[in-house]
Amino acid sequence: MKWSTGLLALLLAAAGLLCGAPASADESGWVRRVEVDGWVEGARSVRIRSPHDALLSRLWGRLKLSADIGDLYGHVSIDAQQNWRVEDETGFELHEVWAEYAADGWDLRIGRQVIIWGKADGVQITDIVSPPDYTEFITRDLEEIRLPVDAAKFRLLGDKIDVELIWIPVFRAAVPPSAGNPWDVEPEIPEGVRVTASSAEEPEVSLENSEIALKVSAFLSGLDVAASVFHTWDDRPAMHRTVSRREGGIDVHFSPEHHRMTVFGLEFSRPWSDFVFRGEVAYYLGRYFEPESVTGDPSRKNALNWLAGIDWTPGNDWSVIAQAAGVFIVEHERSLAAEQHALSGTLNVSKKLLRQTLTLSNMLYYNIRQQDFFDQLKAEYAVTDDVRLIAGVDVFGGGGDGVFGRYRDNSQVWFKAKYSF
Amino acid sequence: MMKKTLFMLLVAAVLRPVGENVAFGEAGAVTGRDVMVMEDERPDGDDRTSVLKMTLINKRGGKRVREVSSYSKDYGKDTKSVMVFDRPADVKGTAFLSWEYDDPEREDDKWLYMPAMKKVRRISGASKNEYFMGSDFTYDDMGDRNVDEDTHKLLGEEEVDGHPCWKIESIPVDPDDMYTRKVIWVSKEAHMALKAEYYDKDGLLKVYRVLDFGKEGGYWTSRHSEMENVVRKHKTVMEFSAMQYDTGLDDGLFKVSAIQRGRVR
Repeated sequence: MKWSTGLLALLLAAAGLLCGAPASADESGWVRRVEVDGWVEGARSVRIRSPHDALLSRLWGRLKLSADIGDLYGHVSIDAQQNWRVEDETGFELHEVWAEYAADGWDLRIGRQVIIWGKADGVQITDIVSPPDYTEFITRDLEEIRLPVDAAKFRLLGDKIDVELIWIPVFRAAVPPSAGNPWDVEPEIPEGVRVTASSAEEPEVSLENSEIALKVSAFLSGLDVAASVFHTWDDRPAMHRTVSRREGGIDVHFSPEHHRMTVFGLEFSRPWSDFVFRGEVAYYLGRYFEPESVTGDPSRKNALNWLAGIDWTPGNDWSVIAQAAGVFIVEHERSLAAEQHALSGTLNVSKKLLRQTLTLSNMLYYNIRQQDFFDQLKAEYAVTDDVRLIAGVDVFGGGGDGVFGRYRDNSQVWFKAKYSF
Repeated sequence: MMKKTLFMLLVAAVLRPVGENVAFGEAGAVTGRDVMVMEDERPDGDDRTSVLKMTLINKRGGKRVREVSSYSKDYGKDTKSVMVFDRPADVKGTAFLSWEYDDPEREDDKWLYMPAMKKVRRISGASKNEYFMGSDFTYDDMGDRNVDEDTHKLLGEEEVDGHPCWKIESIPVDPDDMYTRKVIWVSKEAHMALKAEYYDKDGLLKVYRVLDFGKEGGYWTSRHSEMENVVRKHKTVMEFSAMQYDTGLDDGLFKVSAIQRGRVR
């Protein structure tokens, strides 16, 4: 038995023990209010197109431990996974480990933590502190897409205004699908071009390479607003090229490199009747954009990312969330792969039934220029208070080599069973 | 109790002390509206905490359990409240912050923290005919309904489980209300609704009963109640525990920054 399978067994055993006992216990002495919880999830899918293989075949568990220790609050979460499809995912990982001190008017959290910003639903505009994990592209639940960062987060807490300062001493890159992963879809290479690549160059750990963020948030009656600035590294590397000619073609060597950029953000949300209006803008200073040509080089540009969204809760357990988003590249050049103003939209509709034990939902992402899309339709049923069965269909479609269209062969039907404790 | 806000209900119905001065109708005779004003305006301390256990029972006897810890504090006539979901496990840690305003022209402020998303979302006022956590209580049943959203008529006096009550008929002013009529029995001693019948256009829909009540910390309190849907043959049992009043809850508990931490303590 592999060690990860063993850890999963331990998680299951812990879950079993907790079935008949409260998930928290009051301890006397220095350690108080210890809590143990988590989940175990099995998932399996079948590709809709030939060869009808499984794109998803895994057992994944997360064990979370929290406790008040003196004046501190500590949290540890550990992941264990047995993945039969993407084998390098098999193993265990310390997901989060942090300690927090909360005083009157301020708090400080230090350690490996997930930090989420922004008002958007499933789209990252200002929300770029914790990088994404694209091992299964965006088909995973949100909880499993975001990676923790090693950071210190200090907050000054006012009556209506909070100031948040984040220091990230160690850079963490976004995780792309690894080689051999069915989500690692190679772009089309022109005939006669031979491509090689070196591994991504990441910034060394040093004080001057730290990332730092400042955010000021106001929570007012009928309006939330926030402004932020984030001096960071782009968590996706620019693919710099070295081109050399040879007889019968050309060689292109990719040298991925992460670059510094500064991002200024603004966000708001405002409720009105059964609606909430939301918006975000982020101005990226110095982001690299990829060229259209395989032999071109990325260009450093400024860009404005924006999003406008509306939530509608009309009643009877219906929910509708619609969003429009765009990326506008300042001083755009025709040589870039991206258009000057790329537009996209999302639509999320859900309905709860059977005394809210069955949830039917559909999430659609759509890119206007490429006319490609990703649509996830799912049904989630709570068999008991602790066990949920979830079935769904992921459909990728549309033309071209768009961010969704390129996965058109990965449309799948999937099934998950999740036990929470 | 039926007129109290959701959070007031969650921290247990607290009743006006006997002998409270209420302006009765003409010639000193109590009217239906007088009774409902007494029931609506009963005091409940400056702040309050409790744990609410809701057991949802279907017609085959199957049970599902929801458990919520709640805290609320009065700021003049306004109320700020936090509710943290403890059970079922998959929603554990979900926190709901609400600032409810007495001014009916002013929209309440509400935020939801979802642990899976690790962020706080602004939410709109929940639709009044939506059921709370899949229970038999709608937000409207539990919500902050103004006394004058219904017209009230005193039908007479009856006993409920040996407790003398005023029997009131309440008819919604809004013809589109999900109920066409309610009949409410309000305890003369405790000024608490001990029983209520909810009617829609097809007839009797639901029956509410207080199964156990008494004084807690000097206040009348409902400890155990149920709402039965007599059409669909399912019911919800509510049990309150760990009730505390006037403990001086910290103002910081009722800020967005508190639920953003992912825990409330």
